[in-house]
Amino acid sequence: MTSRLLWSRLWLAVALALMSTAGVQAASPAPEPSSPGTITREQWELYRQRFVDRSGRIIDDANKGISHSEGQGFGLLLAYLAGDRSAFMQIWTFTRIELLLRDDGLVAWRWDPDAKPHVTDINDASDGDLLIAYALALAGKNWDNPQFTVAAKDLAGAIGKRLVVERDDRNLLMPGAAGFGEPDRPDGPVVNLSYWVYEALPVMAELAPGTDWEKLSTSGRALLAQARFGPAGLPADWVSARSERLEPAKGFPQQFGYDGLRIPLYLLRAGYADRALLAPFAQVWGGESGRVAVVALSDGQPIENLADPGYQMLAATLACVLDRKPIPTALRVFRPTSYYPSTIHLLALSLVAQRHRECL
Amino acid sequence: MRKAAVPLLLIAVVVESFALLLGGFREHRVVIVTERSGPVPPDPLAGARAALKGSRPVWISGGAVIAPAAAEPVPSPPQARTPAAPVPAGPSATPPAGPSPNTAPGPGSAPAATGATPPSSAPAAPAAPESGPAAGGVLPPGPPAPSGPQPAVDTTALRYFARIGDTRRLEAELARLRALYPNWTPPTDLRAAPPVADPQLDRMWQLYAQGQFGEARKVIADRMQAESGWMPPADLLDRLRVAESRERLINASDAKQYETVVRIAAATPSLLTCSEVDVLWRVGEAFARTKRPARARDDYQYILKNCDKPEERLATMQKAASLLPRADLDALFALERRDPGGAGEFDPVRGDLARASVAAAGKDATLTATASDLAILEGLARTGAAANDPLLLGWYYLVHAEPEKAEQWFRLSRDRQNAAEPSEGLALALVALKRPNDAEAVAYEWRKASDNLRKVYLAAVANLLAEEPPADISQERLARMIAVVAEAHDPAAGQQIGWYARALGQQETAAQWFTTVLSWKPDDEPSAYGLALARQSLGERDAFLAIVRAWSSRSARIAQLLNPVRPKSAPEVAGSPPAAPSAPAPLPPELVVEPRAGAPPQADAYLPARSRLRRGCTTEAPVASLPADLALARGWCLMQLNRPAEAAVAFDRALASAASRTREDAAYGLSLANLRLGLTSRAAVAATEAPMSGSRVTELNAAILAQRATSAFDAGRYVEALLALDQRSRVASEPLDLMTMRGWSYYHLGRWSDAQQVFSAAAAAGYRDAAKGLATVESAMNPRLH
Repeated sequence: MTSRLLWSRLWLAVALALMSTAGVQAASPAPEPSSPGTITREQWELYRQRFVDRSGRIIDDANKGISHSEGQGFGLLLAYLAGDRSAFMQIWTFTRIELLLRDDGLVAWRWDPDAKPHVTDINDASDGDLLIAYALALAGKNWDNPQFTVAAKDLAGAIGKRLVVERDDRNLLMPGAAGFGEPDRPDGPVVNLSYWVYEALPVMAELAPGTDWEKLSTSGRALLAQARFGPAGLPADWVSARSERLEPAKGFPQQFGYDGLRIPLYLLRAGYADRALLAPFAQVWGGESGRVAVVALSDGQPIENLADPGYQMLAATLACVLDRKPIPTALRVFRPTSYYPSTIHLLALSLVAQRHRECL
Repeated sequence: MRKAAVPLLLIAVVVESFALLLGGFREHRVVIVTERSGPVPPDPLAGARAALKGSRPVWISGGAVIAPAAAEPVPSPPQARTPAAPVPAGPSATPPAGPSPNTAPGPGSAPAATGATPPSSAPAAPAAPESGPAAGGVLPPGPPAPSGPQPAVDTTALRYFARIGDTRRLEAELARLRALYPNWTPPTDLRAAPPVADPQLDRMWQLYAQGQFGEARKVIADRMQAESGWMPPADLLDRLRVAESRERLINASDAKQYETVVRIAAATPSLLTCSEVDVLWRVGEAFARTKRPARARDDYQYILKNCDKPEERLATMQKAASLLPRADLDALFALERRDPGGAGEFDPVRGDLARASVAAAGKDATLTATASDLAILEGLARTGAAANDPLLLGWYYLVHAEPEKAEQWFRLSRDRQNAAEPSEGLALALVALKRPNDAEAVAYEWRKASDNLRKVYLAAVANLLAEEPPADISQERLARMIAVVAEAHDPAAGQQIGWYARALGQQETAAQWFTTVLSWKPDDEPSAYGLALARQSLGERDAFLAIVRAWSSRSARIAQLLNPVRPKSAPEVAGSPPAAPSAPAPLPPELVVEPRAGAPPQADAYLPARSRLRRGCTTEAPVASLPADLALARGWCLMQLNRPAEAAVAFDRALASAASRTREDAAYGLSLANLRLGLTSRAAVAATEAPMSGSRVTELNAAILAQRATSAFDAGRYVEALLALDQRSRVASEPLDLMTMRGWSYYHLGRWSDAQQVFSAAAAAGYRDAAKGLATVESAMNPRLH
């Protein structure tokens, strides 16, 4: 009953957001679950043939062909958005048999085709856990598959129990069950702000009401507003939340890197088009495509320019949502390149297709 | 191999009992449904299935026993069709030849390698029926005909092979089906007109058989969307579910996620059968590793009650032995089968257990092996040819203070393989047997093999040199000993060279060695004491006084050298309490003091001259003929020459004196002589031969108790050592070396904090051995520091 209420409330919010032209910039977000069909079958087929093997494994081809829970989660979400039930089943089968092994119900994060046993790190990664639980929940509901829903509930419960930690009146999302906590590192707890998959959190709240997911969402954005380092004011990929004053975590590259890139996308997909929050990203990406880069925090200068259309699409999407700039024609066509930017590309295209058709 | 259908019921009961052990994970009771109790002709599969004992499915229901309904078509047991269930050929779990979800290439692991010849991993396992329910291969879905003259035979695989022209597999499948269904006539139209033309379904079964679960699921979902109303056969879905669970269970087990293993097993009882013994092993391990040994035992018990393959049974017992407490194994041994000759199938495991327990107790004196383990291992050691079994026994007996037995076993091991370890053990046993001469000979060859062996060799040398009366050592032998001691800078052995030289009257050489040892170990009180005595004997008054002054604050006995309060007749002997020159008990290598850097003495600085030993007191008339007071003098004279055995005879004669003063002196002397001979109890008796002054009584008692403590300690009887030390501490204060012995005794008894306390006190007084003891006990108390 509550779930139906929640879902109707969410859809109402979507409708409001679509009606109000200024709605996207309002402080109150319009989180909405993604819809099937926002990725075309053609786009998805290109992605699937390139990155999904027959066992249902998403191959991170830029990373020695390994697989991970994040990839499986993205794969499930994209298959759902493309409405491909068969591929969804295929990817889930691999995920369950090969990675959903942990005693605590979380998902082992790393799978290496060249190692035996294949799981080379039994730790989990909370973004992978969230993406998988989220995709399962969407598929379970929309395709009326109680199996998926049960699995989503179990996983959401485990995430809430093991990975959501309250500290300094904030809810933190631990990156993994082991290794990042206060006792584990001198600068612990350490978080990764790109692990907050905001659009998944209201769905988690429905699945696992024992955890304050809304507070987790609020805390994530509060941390993001605070985690502005160096002249460019960008977040480090890994942040120490030991004291209330955040700092880049030790032992990681001091940069705004591949992880952090997707933060604006996650915010926008969840409906948080907050100009102030997005300003540093818009600034460094110049509001245009062509300037997406890994940035050194010390001097705010690019370390590595990222020319892949998937990364360019991030800047284009931000410019679209904030300034109504049309998406460059070249980026509207999806051509798979490598796993990570191609995944980002499709997620961004899906967002634009669902809510910003005016940019197309 | 065929059995009547009757045992099935029995099997069913055991399946139930095992499934119950998982009961904590599901609320349902497990009941068994006898399958197809239909009319004649009997279940054509019964024979084969009986052979595949334990492979029956476990049906779960709400609590009531589901009675078999004769008329209803009962789905055939899933297991009977599981493609080539993994039946490891032996303990090494060699993969079966046939395809199986287990051995087929795992997801993503290069299925392409076999891709060119799809049938290679195609359905039918060319296995004989007795190889397991695996033999079922890929059979078409749908309920089999309940009964009838012509059994319902699944020919999907047959037709599949015929269609693709794989003659070899076709023949194998035909053979298999004939074995399963003797009454069956193969269809003649296999190639011509495949009656079941559902290539899509065919493909689903094939993917399942190849372990391509992800793709199988995809293909099923594809078809469900493409053909509205099409549903996959329940059979296929069930097989897929079980095979996926099996794969996931194995992955979880490999990743040491034992709770997950148990959860999957509880949810998939049809996996828990003899045909899946690897799964049963993994479940047993999961229970054992999550501190549920009783459940692990039930799991192994299930295997031993139901599964027949000898190699799997033995492997089961081996796994149980490595994971369960010894007490839990009895119930499993009770299920052992014996061959007509009486040999038990688990004898090898008994041997391994005996080995493990003797080996553990050979490293830790507080543990003991049972008589039966010792007997088993001794039998194996005698009859086998391995060098290791006797070696384990050697260590065991050495550590448990039976050096005679230890010697035997070390010698047997060494005869089989002359190696460092048995030589080390043998040398230690010989030292414990007070045969340092033999010990030196054994250890010399291997002294460079390890740090321990070097220490053992040096201990043998120290003990050999400390023998009383002094051992007659050839010049050549002495030279090689000295060379090693000099190179090793070993204070204990170096000091003994000093005492040995002194006993032979070579005071100059003795002084040189004591000086050298002090350069290696400046706080070595016995060497300082020896040096003082040597200087005194040499008449080097200034040097004597210098050393006494330097040490008098640290050593009472050195200080006392300035004002001897001894009977006039025996000034020097009285000045050297018996315990001093006698060898510090060597033994546990960790007690042997580390050498320090310093100038080594010349290897040739010491040249024995046995002739010089024969002087003084020996030229006189036989003791028996002497008057008591002369015999007393002779006794002290012999004591001075460090010949306590002869001195004892002389003192004994003097005890016959009428003069009470002489008798008292003689008793005192006799006690000292016996003490030096290591004859503690005789020393105690001698002390009562005549009343003595209080101080002498005290001194003797203290010396006697110290020696008792030492021999008890050497023999590894630490409780006795402590008892003697406690007694001694009531009559005299405890010197640092005895405090240290006390510390080690506590240590060996596992009283670590007591040991720590004592070592700390002695170490604070600057005693090096105690500092070492302290370090040892602290690292034992906090193993993480290692």
